[in-house]
Amino acid sequence: MSYIIYIIIQILTIVLTAPLVNGIIKKAKAVSQKRTGPPVFQMYYDLYKLIRKGTVVSDVSSWIYKAAPYVVFSTALAAALLVPVSTLVTPANSIPGDFILMVSVFALGRFFMMAAGLDTGSTFGGMGSSREAMISSLAEPSILVCLFTAGLISGSTSLDRMMTFMQSTGTPLTHPATVLLFLALLSIIMMETARIPVDDPATHLELTMVHEAMLLEYSGRHLALMEYGAAIKQLVFMTLLVNLLVPHDQIIGIAGAGAVVLSLLIYLLKVILLAVLIALVEINTVKFRLFSIPNLAALSFILSFLAFLQYFLMGGGHVWFV
Amino acid sequence: MSGLFDTLSVIILLTSFVLVANKRIKSYIKTFRIQSAFIALAAGIMGIQSITSEGRIDVLVVCFVIVVLKVIYIPKLLNRTYSGVEYKVEKDFILNIPILVLICCGLVVFTHFCIASIDGISQGYNDLQIINSVSVVMIGLFFMISRKKAIGQIIGFLVLENGIFITAMFATDGMPFIVDMGIFIDMLTAVMIMGIMVYQISDKFDTINIDKLNKLKG
Amino acid sequence: MGALQIENYIQMSVLLFTIGALAALALGKRDRLCNLVSNGICIASGLLLMVASVMKLLGASGLIQIGLLRSTLPFLALEMKIDNLSALFLMVLSVLVVCVSIYSIGYISHYYGKRKVGLFNFLYITFILSMIFVFTSSNAVFFYIAWEAMSLLSYFLVIFESERMENQRAGTLYIVMTHIATAFLLIGFMIIYSYTKSFDLFGSSDAIPDTAKNIIFILFVLGFGTKAGAIPVHIWLPYAHPAAPSNVSALMSGIMIKTAIYGLIRFLLDFLGVQHVWWGALLIGVGIVSAVLGVAYALMEQDIKKLLAYSSVENIGIILIGLGVSFTALAQGNETVGALALIASTLHAVNHTFFKGGLFLGAGSVHYATGTKDIEKLGGLIKSMPITALLVLCFSLAISAIVPFNGFISEWLTYQSIFAYISPGQPGTNILFILAVAALGLAGALAAACFVKLFGISFLGLPRSEEISHVEEVPVVMNAGMGILAALCLLLGTFPLVIIRLIDGVAGELIGRSVFDQLQGGFVITWYSMDLTGTAISPFEILIALGVLTLLALLAIRVYGGKYIERKYGTWDCGFEGINSRMQYTATGFSKPVKIVFRILFRPSRKTEAIGGTDYYPDRIEYKVASESIFEKYVYLPAYSRVRTFSRKAKFLVQTGSIHNYLIYIFITILVLMAYNRFV
Repeated sequence: MSYIIYIIIQILTIVLTAPLVNGIIKKAKAVSQKRTGPPVFQMYYDLYKLIRKGTVVSDVSSWIYKAAPYVVFSTALAAALLVPVSTLVTPANSIPGDFILMVSVFALGRFFMMAAGLDTGSTFGGMGSSREAMISSLAEPSILVCLFTAGLISGSTSLDRMMTFMQSTGTPLTHPATVLLFLALLSIIMMETARIPVDDPATHLELTMVHEAMLLEYSGRHLALMEYGAAIKQLVFMTLLVNLLVPHDQIIGIAGAGAVVLSLLIYLLKVILLAVLIALVEINTVKFRLFSIPNLAALSFILSFLAFLQYFLMGGGHVWFV
Repeated sequence: MSGLFDTLSVIILLTSFVLVANKRIKSYIKTFRIQSAFIALAAGIMGIQSITSEGRIDVLVVCFVIVVLKVIYIPKLLNRTYSGVEYKVEKDFILNIPILVLICCGLVVFTHFCIASIDGISQGYNDLQIINSVSVVMIGLFFMISRKKAIGQIIGFLVLENGIFITAMFATDGMPFIVDMGIFIDMLTAVMIMGIMVYQISDKFDTINIDKLNKLKG
Repeated sequence: MGALQIENYIQMSVLLFTIGALAALALGKRDRLCNLVSNGICIASGLLLMVASVMKLLGASGLIQIGLLRSTLPFLALEMKIDNLSALFLMVLSVLVVCVSIYSIGYISHYYGKRKVGLFNFLYITFILSMIFVFTSSNAVFFYIAWEAMSLLSYFLVIFESERMENQRAGTLYIVMTHIATAFLLIGFMIIYSYTKSFDLFGSSDAIPDTAKNIIFILFVLGFGTKAGAIPVHIWLPYAHPAAPSNVSALMSGIMIKTAIYGLIRFLLDFLGVQHVWWGALLIGVGIVSAVLGVAYALMEQDIKKLLAYSSVENIGIILIGLGVSFTALAQGNETVGALALIASTLHAVNHTFFKGGLFLGAGSVHYATGTKDIEKLGGLIKSMPITALLVLCFSLAISAIVPFNGFISEWLTYQSIFAYISPGQPGTNILFILAVAALGLAGALAAACFVKLFGISFLGLPRSEEISHVEEVPVVMNAGMGILAALCLLLGTFPLVIIRLIDGVAGELIGRSVFDQLQGGFVITWYSMDLTGTAISPFEILIALGVLTLLALLAIRVYGGKYIERKYGTWDCGFEGINSRMQYTATGFSKPVKIVFRILFRPSRKTEAIGGTDYYPDRIEYKVASESIFEKYVYLPAYSRVRTFSRKAKFLVQTGSIHNYLIYIFITILVLMAYNRFV
């Protein structure tokens, strides 16, 4: 029973919050630039409108093009099942999966997205796919090393166990490895979710497009699914960051359903704060030249690697394989 | 408390990585300033500790000197030097930046190997801080090699000095006052002389690329 | 039925293969019949072999001995011994042989009347037979003979389409490299013999001193590494595999390079026993380099089969990383991790056999239908060859380690074995391990990029040349052969414990530790989840989740969005009229960002040249991009030119051409040998 409750809470939270987070980032950017900006709920309206519209499909494209939005959307949500929004609702046997599986599930979505970019025979699509291939291959080693280190600290590769461990021992944010991991994950979020130093989500200029270039041909409900998928992916990575490195469930004193609600509220607060932080980073950096992205990737890899090193310098570790 | 110093040492190490990854002269100076500020913070905390536990005030004075010298005066001096020369962005490195950063990472690993085997250091919490600080020294030195313009050498030297200072500080909980002061005065003199040198090189060669210095040989 | 033992099955299968080979020669004149008969026999005997090996893996323990020939010559005993390791590789071989033979029924049809089908099939079947003997030989002499036969037969197959100069050159490079490798192996065998006085592979190695073991290790890593295509001794592989006909490439890349993995496990892990941590560290290092560089070079290739060949180098790297972790753990006495990593690495070998075999068959289908292997000339094939496209997509996902296909499972196990073995207090190996993790991640992402390119450029978009705009789907048998492999990839990816149950016997026999109980949730063969040290994954559940979520998305959109209205229209062309296939991204363009980022590996150079006309209106513009292959330029070419100069000099000094000189050489040699016999 708790299994089903877990899945429902997980899916509902992620699906309902993802567009909001996008709205908050946009709003925060607008406010800091002294603009009014769109309302925070704008993305919900957009998605609703897109779903109701008809779609134009390129006559060059094949079934890959139509399948890709569904694959992107469902892989993002399936990956979300592996990243608990609150450890209080995690059942004893939640969805079996770990971060390696999560990375692989995202890779499935990305594979289809890149293929769809090539499917329409458009130059933009190919350009987007080719750049996405480069960025993803640069980000992948840092993601794995970063999460591996977090996994080593907590003794498991399963995300819910990692989070539960962080709750119980309360690895504080001042732990040297955690600081490094936080920064590494933040830069990974920037790379993975098409944020400003790497990609500008607001532009359709051919020099700068990466993610948008792949979606250029999409319209109607397909576009809605693609954008929704991207928003969910962004929220999943943010959840990973806030729940892994800034655990909160241990400060809730009460038990039962009230605790779950409280925990979810705190989770939302953390996500909103992180969204504002991301907006701040976006405002204060310029978009990198495409071939400067390796610098960022190298830095985030170094951060993860140093975290690994610091963790071992501390002499920590768990002998857990019996 | 030592957890806090661990974190600070990591952050200081991180700033030296940021320095290596940068290519704007202005960012060099800014990064150096931030690094010094963190060092001052560490020294300040240590100073308050030593006042409360032993009644020594000298670490706090050192902290104050750092703030005045490294956070305020030297960056200002450098900014002035920098506005006097013609270039703003470093273009030619010996290798490209990601590889420089990866080499620095290798330096940290290497330092770890070498330091961890020294008796007496490898016990207890201190080794994390000392390895990080010695890594800062190594990265400062490497930074000097990797940049071709003279300001890069000055900054590299300053970071190197920062590294030596925090190594000493973390190892001994604050060196004797007179030693610290001696180092600071040396460093100040060095920076002033180097600043003048940069003007001179710039004047003579219309560039401060130190590769050109090999024209001086007979 | 009780009469039929495992050995009977294997004897029958070997006999059938021999009959098939002879039949192929006998029926050489009648192409069609010959092809049907010989491939039919291959399928039948492949199935027999499969039954036998699965029976061995599931049930019987201990060695199965089959004496084939005993002779009066001292060491020559053609005797087969099959333990679980042999049985595993035999099983993989037989599955691949069955699928490739089904495929060949259709594929070889384009040789009818043009080439000697009988000869081809004879070589094909004897090649398979030689591999069977490599996997089952019980002594080093037999192993050596089978190994040599395998190399020679595959050489003949590589140069089968010998009218093309590049195939001949590829063949020459292959035969030279493989013989250098064999020389290393031979020296290794000799050293072993000089201490143990026996060529028995299942004997004891206690008599060999430690230094000699280290030397043997290096020799075997060089020898088997060359066959496996590990960097830096890989250079023959990207030339030889593309040159062979596609069904042979599938066998070569699928299983022949795995004979080297078999050899590494058989001789080093089983026979010698792992002694030092540095053995494992060396293997991990070679694995890291091979994995990253292999896939990086693959990404730069525009020839489908060359791309696949380089990708084999990458996968060998991943297998070697797993093997290295196993060696390291065993050297430090951790048998559980040793067994786990061994399972990971052999599982990856098995998986790679299936998806790489399938991919080479797919490349063969593309070549069969379009007549080209150049990705730049393809495009839009998904419309004319939908089934081939779907199958290639499956293999591409599998090789990029993407759920729910099998490539992911073995990479997951490799990650887990590394995770299980990182612990404080061993800084050296820890840093190597985390580098291996980063390398695996990088290789995985680059592999995904590489196969998006392969699939996307050749199957999607607009056709890039006139000839391929009206191709036809390949015959059903070809797709059937690939389809079985694709189904296996999906099956092993969703229900991995089926295959792990079989591989566990290998680890159990070699290391004496079974980890299957730790990998499963409760049932003997559960399709449910793999549970390891508190970390479980269930690809099946993820597959179900993906399905359900897609359905939910469809449902929600149907409810809120109403009916699906679709309008077909041309691709957006920025307001210009007439977007055409030349405006699409090319394969070269697709991989260019990666090429620039990793320019240190490729050293790209480009040249633009305007020819004719005025400066502003040239008649045509030539644009050339080239990248250097570092190993060839900086390692092999200098070595080659040294050898050449040395030989030239030697020609004048030693090879005088005078018969007296040669007689003197012989005479002196005899004298020296006699003196050696007397004094030493």
